[in-house]
Amino acid sequence: MSEFIEKPRASCALGGALAAISALPEVIPIVHTSAGCGGNLMNFLAFGGGGLGASYCSGGSAPSSAVTETEIVFGGTDRLHEEIESTLKLIDGKLYIVATGCMTEMIGDDAAGTVSEFAAEGEPVIAISTPSFKGDSYAGYEILLDGIFNRWLRPSDGKDAKLVNVFGIVPGYDPFFRGDLEEIERLGALLGLRVNTFFSPSQTFDNILSAPRAALNIVLSRTRGVEFAENFEERHGTPYWATELPIGPEATDAFLRELAGKVGATNAEDVIEAENERYYRYFERAVDSYADGDLRFFGVTVTNSSYALPLNRYLYRELGWVPADVFVTDSLSDEQKESLTQAFAEFPAAPQFVSGATKIARAITHNHPESRGERYFDALTPLFIVGSTYEKQTAAKRGAKYLGVSFPAFDRTIVSQGYAGYRGGLRLYEDLISAIMSAKG
Amino acid sequence: MSYYEQKIPPVRDSRLQLADSYSGSACDLLDCQKEGCLMRKNRSFWQSGSCQMSLTLMMAATVQNSVIVLHSPAGCGSMLGPIGVSSNRGRVQRGLPPTPANWLATDLTETDVIGGGERKLREAIEYADREFRPEIIFVVSTCAPNIIGDDVAEVVESEKDKVSAKVVGLHCPGFKSRVVASAYDAFYHGLLRDIPFEPEPWKDYVPLDPSDPKYPMERAKENYQKSHTINLWNATSIGVADENEIERLLTALGLKVRIFAEYSSLDEYRQISQAALNVSMCNVHDDYMLKYLEEKYGMPYYIAGMPIGFTETRRWLVGIAAHFGLEAEAEKLADYEEKLAREAIEPFLPKVRGKRAIIGGGVVRAGAEAVALAEFGIDILSIKAYHYDDNAEDVYAEVAEKLPDAHVSVSTQLFEFSHQLRTLKPDFVITHNGTHGAAAKLGVPSVQLFSTEGAFFGYTGFWQILRRIVFALGNTSYQTRLAKHIKQPYRDWYWEADTFSFIKE
Repeated sequence: MSEFIEKPRASCALGGALAAISALPEVIPIVHTSAGCGGNLMNFLAFGGGGLGASYCSGGSAPSSAVTETEIVFGGTDRLHEEIESTLKLIDGKLYIVATGCMTEMIGDDAAGTVSEFAAEGEPVIAISTPSFKGDSYAGYEILLDGIFNRWLRPSDGKDAKLVNVFGIVPGYDPFFRGDLEEIERLGALLGLRVNTFFSPSQTFDNILSAPRAALNIVLSRTRGVEFAENFEERHGTPYWATELPIGPEATDAFLRELAGKVGATNAEDVIEAENERYYRYFERAVDSYADGDLRFFGVTVTNSSYALPLNRYLYRELGWVPADVFVTDSLSDEQKESLTQAFAEFPAAPQFVSGATKIARAITHNHPESRGERYFDALTPLFIVGSTYEKQTAAKRGAKYLGVSFPAFDRTIVSQGYAGYRGGLRLYEDLISAIMSAKG
Repeated sequence: MSYYEQKIPPVRDSRLQLADSYSGSACDLLDCQKEGCLMRKNRSFWQSGSCQMSLTLMMAATVQNSVIVLHSPAGCGSMLGPIGVSSNRGRVQRGLPPTPANWLATDLTETDVIGGGERKLREAIEYADREFRPEIIFVVSTCAPNIIGDDVAEVVESEKDKVSAKVVGLHCPGFKSRVVASAYDAFYHGLLRDIPFEPEPWKDYVPLDPSDPKYPMERAKENYQKSHTINLWNATSIGVADENEIERLLTALGLKVRIFAEYSSLDEYRQISQAALNVSMCNVHDDYMLKYLEEKYGMPYYIAGMPIGFTETRRWLVGIAAHFGLEAEAEKLADYEEKLAREAIEPFLPKVRGKRAIIGGGVVRAGAEAVALAEFGIDILSIKAYHYDDNAEDVYAEVAEKLPDAHVSVSTQLFEFSHQLRTLKPDFVITHNGTHGAAAKLGVPSVQLFSTEGAFFGYTGFWQILRRIVFALGNTSYQTRLAKHIKQPYRDWYWEADTFSFIKE
């Protein structure tokens, strides 16, 4: 039996689907709920995603059936039909996605049936079922992927050996999704690949259409998009590789070597050498301030399951920090928890699956008591908490340093930056240390 | 049975005549309201908007030492993230410490939707009480429990005996009303049913002893104080600078001002009944509460527009003063303030005179500000009200009289907003938060209709409004550059068609 939750760090399936649709070029959402859902969910995304405002036709522009009590009583499919008709007439798009919410699902509206009337006339309209009671935003992301790639797109005739698809990074709820995906595109290109990431600004609708021709699906998460990739393989015959988002040089070296092996690229070592050369010419000049400044920390991370591993790997391996607590906040199955725990075997801390900000603050205190003035007390200092805005006051109370990297990131402005790869590794270093330096003066 | 005796408040749709779709003039709008055609209008295309629940949450999240428990699936509380941030900003502005916005959601799942979720709600309320030790627990009833038939009102009643906090039921399912103004009624309904408004002896005051020789004197003092005290009712869109401006003016008349209901505490709520007059700053915000206080405590109330611009501020102040026999003083105060303010706005006037503007947002504010700005030569092309209901009639009678040629619409819709900007080509737009991006992408400079970062009311407020317009017009390069690069999602035919093509009877 499920329990109540404190201040969830994601919204509903609809919220995840709408966030993802908003990052897809020329894909138009039609929200089949009461008018407020679209606005509420966009606001959380916009502020929590580091200032991620509306795109071409999202947020306050997203068409909505805006059902009211009349539709709740008599059914909402007539209103939905009218809304789809009007949307096709008014909004210029290449694919229209009806996403349902709680109330229209509860009253049993047949959105798929309504959509099929339009599909029969050749209109590119699909429906996905995304009520909150079916899952959170992460689930919504996968429901959306499934709708587009595993139901709407037809299998292709052949494969393109140099084309790969990337999944697993959830738009908005992975706040650095654009910067991270662009770095993966850049790295793939260095190996001679064309990389479909779908959700970064460099992508077009054609990337979606070409997806079935890809030779490999890379899933940059051990929890998100894996089941989807299995279904993709079943429909389109594309094998998948579930790994983690590489952050920093060591992880990226390994990522490139493995990827090169899978796609038959032969220049991985040259790429790795050149990228490391550049990375360390920057990094060597940061060494004095880091080493003299005594900037190693105990690390507490509060992230979703996708970011926990790469972030801790970076802090542990590249910066020499000591992971103290690893809090994983998204809702996971027992198998997913088990597989993540196994992946952490090489680190001194195992993941703890907690979401509530109060519970996390209490767990830190419980795991690492603070000194009560004892002369010899091995307290957890110096401490750096890398989490979401919900950890800001926890860190302040404990005198810990703090950087917001996870959703919700109300205290960040995120545009093109990301932490993936070599370039992201430098960026993460800058952000972590700037969080300390900004207090100077 | 009066609305106040019911466990669940009515939505405005059933309490008042209201509209969400209209295009015409103020005069036609008033005719349409009288004939009833206003309520029959609808659209064949809608874009996402707001939910009455989120506005109720905005009010509740400001209340000191409170926790919110949402009886909802996980997604409904989404807005509380940003709301928590903004209410902390409001706390800091009022000298209160920032606090984490604590809230829980019952996270209704498929099983709960079938089997009911009342048990989880009870557990969450009791946990909130133990964990956070709040004075008030707001229990919010959303769409899902209203469809599956959970009796949230009953849970609220029975939990009152089990927890030490006051339990307040807020019934605001989004699907019940497309007009978010119902949110205010839902919040007030919870407060007036579940929060005490009367001071308690020994806690709030030492009872006077009738045998004490000083009794008559003390009694007279107490009565005098009460008879010169005003409750000023604020709103999320009314920031601390506006509260300060109004308080400054009323204090100058010798009146004591207490501010409710946002950013108040349980202790402060007990003073609500101890005032001579309840004053609203917005016609469509407070009538539900103020009529209750009249019914229950015989307190008169004052709902008369919004104190924006010189004419309205004078009328508004004198109207309040009339309750205390202070009209002459208020007129003199207005003369004095106006003289200072007129000198202060002088440098701005040549820069704004003759500029063409669209103004949109809350029905009262948009109408009142349009009239105030027109007085100084700003050409109001169109007023776009987010909703319309009977309470806004006086404001629009004024609009009809003073701006007979201005277009008036009732719309929250971004496509109609974008269409107006592109076809009417205003010099600037004064608009509600959440729409400035849409204006910028069309190359139109915009000015905040309201913001909690500055004043809009009274004399300093009007000066600030003009200053904002001048500042916005000072450099429009950002918008001009953007418009060259941002593609609009609407098909070409629409730009040639009527803005309100999708409104239907």
